[in-house]
Amino acid sequence: MTGYPTAFAYRIARSVWVGLFFFLLLPHLAFAQPVGDYTGDPSAFYAQTKQLNQFIRRFNGEEALGGNRFYPGNALYHDRNLRKGYLETLFDLSNPELTPSLRNSFTQQALDKPFFLDFHGGNWFAEVHATVLYQGKEEDITLFMKLEEEKVGSEWVFFDVYFAPFDKLFASPDPEGLQPAFLHPLSHELDFMNLSKIFRNQQYLESYAAREFRPDHFTLFLWEAKRKALTFKGVNEVKFHFFQMDGWYIEVSEFNREGRNRGWLISQALPLESGQSDLLTRFILRK
Amino acid sequence: MLKHKIVLTLAAMLICLASLAQTGEITPERKRAIDSLALEKVRDLGRYITIIGNKETPFSEGNRVIDRAVELFAEGSEIGVSSLFRTELQYFPVRRYFERLMALNYDKVSVQWYKVQYISDLELQPDGRYVGIITIFQRFEGTTAEGMTYSDVTKKDITVYVERKKTQISGREIEFWDVLLGDIRVKETKAL
Repeated sequence: MTGYPTAFAYRIARSVWVGLFFFLLLPHLAFAQPVGDYTGDPSAFYAQTKQLNQFIRRFNGEEALGGNRFYPGNALYHDRNLRKGYLETLFDLSNPELTPSLRNSFTQQALDKPFFLDFHGGNWFAEVHATVLYQGKEEDITLFMKLEEEKVGSEWVFFDVYFAPFDKLFASPDPEGLQPAFLHPLSHELDFMNLSKIFRNQQYLESYAAREFRPDHFTLFLWEAKRKALTFKGVNEVKFHFFQMDGWYIEVSEFNREGRNRGWLISQALPLESGQSDLLTRFILRK
Repeated sequence: MLKHKIVLTLAAMLICLASLAQTGEITPERKRAIDSLALEKVRDLGRYITIIGNKETPFSEGNRVIDRAVELFAEGSEIGVSSLFRTELQYFPVRRYFERLMALNYDKVSVQWYKVQYISDLELQPDGRYVGIITIFQRFEGTTAEGMTYSDVTKKDITVYVERKKTQISGREIEFWDVLLGDIRVKETKAL
């Protein structure tokens, strides 16, 4: 019984706020006319989260509904209700995996703790899908990039690569009848003279590598690019993976579609238990 | 007249920015001044594109405007273009992009800019310059002599480099913030 007036008051306050949110947005939509005589309705462009920078500003409640930047000291900077309004619009609402209860759970934690995304806070990276020309054929490549702080400023750097042709090159299990099947344990007494045998069939050299060997796509990519065997053609798609919020992973992708739920949006959100973030990172990096 | 207005606007902003350039820090007030200057350059670019794309612009005048447009950009800037049907980027050096625009086989070209924009924060890069991105939306319409019309709406993400520079005015050294445009990502987008 004691909770009822509070819940009721909350519902009233929420309704007032939602009304205010759209009311405040309206004047900005009214100004949304192109220069010239084109009369199309560009209000969706206002609603669209146009840059990742704007995604972070909206997520954190650092932007007025008209798009002006809020700075610390402004009354609405990081305002809970402003953030709540924004957070409800920052999910890809066409994705059935992002259920209302999942979105609500994420939003509540982001507001209650509270949690803010930090561009320079680490624990996030970009996944860049691109096309390269490799051995005369167009191939997809995935570059993983992160923001690295420098003495002055910061820069995006590669930290990993996934390239399917490299996987194929190393994917074969030890072939049957491979001769020699291994380098016997007393090879050292012969000054490893039997090494010459395994180099006669260089295709399966990795069969003689240590168990922990994993081909390093990043180094191979650099090598192939340096010797001009691989030519970069262009970027196709970019997405971002954030592990900044305790117990949550979010993926942010760009949606170029009709309607107002478009631009940079949360395309995946997963609650994480302890240790799962490393596992998920390895999965994303295809390790 | 247009050129005169642009020069006056830039001079006014230069003086305004010079007064703000006493320290290297970019305060919210300074950010707003820099944003205005950057947006003015973007609007100049829009005006130039309209002139370059207009078939009534004489060839020599078109080339002169291309030179002016290229001066807005940092050296080596490129324009990366994709469409709804081709997500892979095609890259053009800025001059080549303008030359292609001038050579388009349209009798009439209309370039309109929506009053919707987003200006990112400025981030410091390792060479000491600041970088930001301005997003704008543009509607292009081209009509051939036969009356065939092509139109698209594109989102343009425009790189802006901001650098503190010094100049001598009447023997006095004045510091000011200079703005240059950089790479532009052009993405065809759904209008509604």
